[in-house]
Amino acid sequence: MSQIPNLDNAPINLTSIRDQSQKELLNILRNVRGRKCVVIDQTLSGPLSLLIQTTLLKENGAELRHLSSEPIQTDCSKIVFLVRCHPSLMEFILSNIQYDISKGLKKDYFIYFVPRRTVACEKVLEKDGIHNMITIGEFPLYLVPLDDDVLSFELDFAYRDVHVDGDTSSLWHIAKALHKLELSFGVIRNFLAKGSASVKVVEILESMQAEDPVDSEDVGIPEINTIILLDRDVDMFTPMCFQLTYEGIIDEILRINSGSVELDASIMGTPQDGKKVKVPLNSSDRLYKEVRDLQFGVVMQVLRERATSMKQDYADISSTQTVSELKDFVKKLNSLPEISRHINLAQHLCAFTSKPSFNGRLDIEQTILEGEAYEICFEHVEEMIHKQEPIISVLRLLVLFSITNAGLPKKNFDYLRRELLHSYGFEHMPTLYNLEKAGLLKKQELKSNWPIITRALKLIADDSSSTNPNDIAHLYSGYAPLSIRLVQHAIRSGWRSIEEVLKLLPGPMKRGGDSTTSDMRNVHANLGRPSDGRRSVALVVFIGGVTSGELSALRFLSSQEGMGHDFIVATTKVVNGNTLLETLLDTTVRN
Amino acid sequence: LLLKESWKLGVNPLASKGSPLHGPRIRVIEKARDLFRETREHTFESKAADEHQKLLRVQHGLEVSTKQAIFVDSSISDTIRTCIVLGKHQDAMKVRTEFKVSEKRWYWLKVFALATINDWETLERF
Repeated sequence: MSQIPNLDNAPINLTSIRDQSQKELLNILRNVRGRKCVVIDQTLSGPLSLLIQTTLLKENGAELRHLSSEPIQTDCSKIVFLVRCHPSLMEFILSNIQYDISKGLKKDYFIYFVPRRTVACEKVLEKDGIHNMITIGEFPLYLVPLDDDVLSFELDFAYRDVHVDGDTSSLWHIAKALHKLELSFGVIRNFLAKGSASVKVVEILESMQAEDPVDSEDVGIPEINTIILLDRDVDMFTPMCFQLTYEGIIDEILRINSGSVELDASIMGTPQDGKKVKVPLNSSDRLYKEVRDLQFGVVMQVLRERATSMKQDYADISSTQTVSELKDFVKKLNSLPEISRHINLAQHLCAFTSKPSFNGRLDIEQTILEGEAYEICFEHVEEMIHKQEPIISVLRLLVLFSITNAGLPKKNFDYLRRELLHSYGFEHMPTLYNLEKAGLLKKQELKSNWPIITRALKLIADDSSSTNPNDIAHLYSGYAPLSIRLVQHAIRSGWRSIEEVLKLLPGPMKRGGDSTTSDMRNVHANLGRPSDGRRSVALVVFIGGVTSGELSALRFLSSQEGMGHDFIVATTKVVNGNTLLETLLDTTVRN
Repeated sequence: LLLKESWKLGVNPLASKGSPLHGPRIRVIEKARDLFRETREHTFESKAADEHQKLLRVQHGLEVSTKQAIFVDSSISDTIRTCIVLGKHQDAMKVRTEFKVSEKRWYWLKVFALATINDWETLERF
């Protein structure tokens, strides 16, 4: 099965976006005549694998290499660098070219920046007159479809860039990508934005629309009705919680990267020592599509039922008479690889979820979210530090603890920071600083709003309804993800009914389009009205990343009766608590 | 103050990266400590930098006395564990008092360290 998702079921034509990028990439390759060595930076290999098959690249005479500080060994005389704009990558390219010069090799160099060139990077290349030897171009890849309903800007460090380093270039990238979407699908009339980064993206987008207006006659009726922009900063609670859906757990334990997961071959039942296999995870796999958004426990049941019914069919085959019955049976056999793949995966995950420490962790998360037993939570975190558990899981819990309490009292704050440094080393000082700057781990100054927020938005289900399958809370065992609640309210009332609560969350709020001029009932009608009989489409943009758990919750929402909305999510990256916090670890520790 | 902030970020990675040569590295950290001391809101950072340079000195001493280059760049807790594993209980105790390690953390460390070397007798006794 290919890693490139089949996008036939997407609510809007995503295939055209992908084809466009594919064509642009192939044009770049064709413009460089003859055989060439394509050197890509590591972070691009994920997105590119979602775009194009490597065989297609090879057919165009390209040899693939990764960019690193090591010189590239190739006998091609034409080198095409495909890189993101980052000064350190420029250094790699420089050292590569200098190596060739020192060897007396003459080659043609091409650099294509993804998605655009910047002055800062070209400055690096001006050293030593190397600039003159290079042809520079751009490969405007702004977003990649991850699945039928998910687009990714593949900006791994967006959260850190915006909230720690104050670098807003990723916001420009997002606005540009949205503008490109509008050029092909029409102007999105309604928008709702919450959080400083979201509002900024809206502003940039508006100026782009003014500069380069979308010709409405070209694109016809807008296909997307509403856009909801959420800054990750508004809800850092949800990503810190452990995900319990099938896809979420796979991501937490094995890490999904650009729509696929890399595993030891032995897990998949093929005993090849130490070999890694790549397993694509997207909705082209029909069984996966069915179970990815379910709670892991339920998935186990589904898989068991499938396996048993398979066995039953096998037993029945001896009594089969007609050819058509045989044909049905063979059809069922076709799904066998899918079933066995997921049984292998699930079995591997079970080894983790059956540990007592796993349940202990879920319990303490729940306790922190309920926010009533401060001492117990504090001691739990303290003990984790003392036992020197992996720093990333300690920080994750600590961040959750800190943000639900609007920070920790100074005494506890300093004490825990000191214990952290003592246990894990002083080199984590910059990490603590980054967390503090992002507001994730800080000194308590005001009383926490968390209890008010949870009550107003009904984030925590009481015992009786924790298993209520009609609410998104069941996906997190009783916690309804804040971000998704906001989306729910946005669709329902354009956020008019929860304005007071929104004020308690960080960052400004902005609203525009039809909803600013008409009264609430009209908005509702506008938002909910399916144009020409179809369901209306809402684009939800997560700036700073989204978790698979939240994606599942959104899919669940749109499947609810009376919703009448399809959601498409655009995100800077699909993240989980660990990957999100890892971007905040300092580079020297990150290695 | 902006300058201070950039220092905060700049100095520490610089210091922790450093070369294995102790002299310059410790001096950089001391410099950082003094800079942090100049403002009131950075007392925590200055204390941490102070402890960091102390730790490096202690670790250096331990490496000389054990003739094993395994101490530098490990944390305080790791240093204590390594000492116990090597059977140098007095040194471990010394590190503990030097950095005022709390009772709770000390017990965890000791139990883990003794368990790694299967020294159940000492574990039993304490």
